[in-house]
Amino acid sequence: MSSVQRTLAIVRKELVDTFRDRRTGTVTLLSSILAGPILLMLIFNLMASQAGRARDLTLPVQGAEHAPAVVAFLERQQVKVMPAPGDYEAAIRRGDLDVVLVVDDGFMHDVAGGRPGRVRLVYDRSRDRARASIDQAETLLAAYNRLWGEQRLMLRGVTASVANPLRIENADLATPQQSGALVLFLVAYYGLFAALMGGMAVALDTTAGERERQSLEPLLTTPARPLEIVVGKWLAVVAFDALVVVLTLTGFYLTLAFAPLPPVGVPFLFGSREFGRFLIVLVPMVLMLPALLLYIGSRAKAYREAQANVSVLLFVVSLIPLVQLFMQRKEPSWLMLVPVSAQYSLLNTSLRGEAPALAQLALSWLAPLVLIALALGAFARRLSRESILA
Amino acid sequence: MIALEHLAKAFGKRREVQAVRDVSLVAPDGEITGLLGPNGAGKTTLLRMIATLVVPDAGRAEVDGQDVVADRYDVRRRIGVLSDARGLYPRLTARENVRYYGALHGLAGAPLERRIDALFDTLGLAGIADRRTAGFSQGEKMKVAIARALVHDPRTILLDEPTNGLDIMSVRMLRDELRTLRAQGRCLLFSSHVMQEVVALCDRIVVLSHGRVVAEGTAADLTAQAATTNLEDAFVALLGAEEGTIA
Repeated sequence: MSSVQRTLAIVRKELVDTFRDRRTGTVTLLSSILAGPILLMLIFNLMASQAGRARDLTLPVQGAEHAPAVVAFLERQQVKVMPAPGDYEAAIRRGDLDVVLVVDDGFMHDVAGGRPGRVRLVYDRSRDRARASIDQAETLLAAYNRLWGEQRLMLRGVTASVANPLRIENADLATPQQSGALVLFLVAYYGLFAALMGGMAVALDTTAGERERQSLEPLLTTPARPLEIVVGKWLAVVAFDALVVVLTLTGFYLTLAFAPLPPVGVPFLFGSREFGRFLIVLVPMVLMLPALLLYIGSRAKAYREAQANVSVLLFVVSLIPLVQLFMQRKEPSWLMLVPVSAQYSLLNTSLRGEAPALAQLALSWLAPLVLIALALGAFARRLSRESILA
Repeated sequence: MIALEHLAKAFGKRREVQAVRDVSLVAPDGEITGLLGPNGAGKTTLLRMIATLVVPDAGRAEVDGQDVVADRYDVRRRIGVLSDARGLYPRLTARENVRYYGALHGLAGAPLERRIDALFDTLGLAGIADRRTAGFSQGEKMKVAIARALVHDPRTILLDEPTNGLDIMSVRMLRDELRTLRAQGRCLLFSSHVMQEVVALCDRIVVLSHGRVVAEGTAADLTAQAATTNLEDAFVALLGAEEGTIA
């Protein structure tokens, strides 16, 4: 009887046990399959409604009668102009209106006197979904301002380029996939999260749960060595975790490929190439997180206690990508040595349509390998200690 | 055969809890040896040391000549343990529970299945062999735990308070099963704090108190030793002699 055979017997038993556990199985598998599609639907609808607002801008105008030329220009630009309600400021605060144009009562008088005519844009920039409308109104007014000034110069026989010594050309180097950073963040985040949550219930059940059910002591009287038990349980959790990750990513893939998502003008790619790159990047996590979860589980005498202990790991893993999202600086090169951070960064690279560099991938394995060895070693030591029987 | 020589074990940061102080005994093959003692006498610790789960601080323990520390995995192959903790996997069937332990003992395929069938027939589990153990009664769970401990045909069997939580029918079934195992020439070491049980079953009784052997022998020997007429009085007298009070 070899170590390998005993280890395989443990893997087989743990997998059968896991798939029989209806609660864990249903919750984990359903959430992993459904979460991706639901998340994507929500994001795409949000983006679609923002894009829709920007396309058909409705602009309430107060005092339109003072500036008929401005209103005419706006209407030529497909803006729907309507009279502003009396309490437009309150309406903006409530979020009923995105932006209101107020034409000064003395507009005509000022213009006739050669002074700039005053118009005011009223809005609440803290409202995310109003931003597109605000930006569009600003751009249109600036365009009208330039047009009007150029016409005046032409009347005086001056070419328009005199007043525009600088010509600004925008060259946005973002590939089409790079836009929609929020979607990138969420998809990468959810990929990591699947690797964490996929193994959690199983890892705690097979460690703290086994102690709670009083089946650990009999197991330790069999010829199975602590390391065989540890590796067997680890491989079983890893297998289940990998299944959850693959199902989650499949959910993303199928949703993007086939679901009737609203067109949002952000050609965001998650095709078979991205799917493959995601899997490669997530391998160290699918190996490391179950090892850490098993060690944490082995420190607890009961499932509930283990759940409380695991919250620290949960907190750290879910916080790291958020920190990175808000850290707008260029990522330092040592980031590849930080588990979770490195994977999050590489997932983002993949989503931008680029292949992660091999050197970076190799670096991203270092810390997880060390942590796996430490966690499994500590778990095996716990199993050979007498205190595990208490 | 189990042979213990001056076995001792203490727990705690400064080893302040002396669970087993000095125990020497021999449990021969073909006999049921009973460890009798009140709660906290050191019975579970003693059995755990023989089962290789706890390393002794001092003394030696051997099973069929194999040392429980140096040859612990050889010992584990020779012993079947029905420990105080006898949890089953509730999502596995009775057969799967036993098969798992068989596989860990190196059994596989048709020989393993035949062995499980034979055990289940003897224990009366054949009808529920392929049902999940989640809904089993205490007695049924006990039977599966026994089958699991015996799947590799061990020559030496350790049982820690095996009748705890069992109804009278299950207790009788267990006694019959243990007598059968004795008849097969195996060595059985059985712990209990219930005197009647030990008397009903054991060939030899070892009375433990505060981690020491305070008396040893057949039921008749013990009664004679304590100069009493019945065993209960003997038990109380023997423990009282050790503790200075009545247990």
